[in-house]
Amino acid sequence: MDGSSSGIQEPFDLIRLSLSERVFVKLRGDREMTGILHAYDGHMNLILSDVEETIMIVNEGEQATVNVAKRKMDMLFVRGDGVILVGFYIV
Amino acid sequence: MDEYPPPPDDALDTQTPPPPPQPRTTHTGSPTDFLKGVVGKKVIVRLNSGVDYRGVLSCLDGYMNIALEATEEHVEGNVTNRYGDAFIRGNNVLYISAAEEI
Repeated sequence: MDGSSSGIQEPFDLIRLSLSERVFVKLRGDREMTGILHAYDGHMNLILSDVEETIMIVNEGEQATVNVAKRKMDMLFVRGDGVILVGFYIV
Repeated sequence: MDEYPPPPDDALDTQTPPPPPQPRTTHTGSPTDFLKGVVGKKVIVRLNSGVDYRGVLSCLDGYMNIALEATEEHVEGNVTNRYGDAFIRGNNVLYISAAEEI
């Protein structure tokens, strides 16, 4: 790899390096969550713990406002086909 | 009777037409060649939802799953999020575009 400091061979390596770390997941349906990643597979099914989910509810109307609903869960299975992006905080 | 001079020789269509002008950036090759050339470069990944992600392409696979470094999320022109590393599931990807010269 040219200049890549992380030595990743394929995209799933990026996820493998983040096991037991807190990750940020963007999902379909205007949902986001953060949680500790325990497991994943080729479908992007995820097992997360200590999860906080944020749901964006857009109010269509004269004034388009966005409401936010949050909920917390101890342990969660996320089905892979809903996953858009998995982000890792090294910023 | 009108006598027209015979047509000049070069008016006859015996010459082969000139080759078409070569495009300035010749990217001949398969999509795979493009993807090989763009790894390690800054790219713009657009998703089906219209959201853009700009970052350095770490790697990708045959499903277009993408690993990006130093990623910025752009929604309607505004930067909405930044991630140190990001994995994007391939089914959401509309295109990958090179943001710098390959």
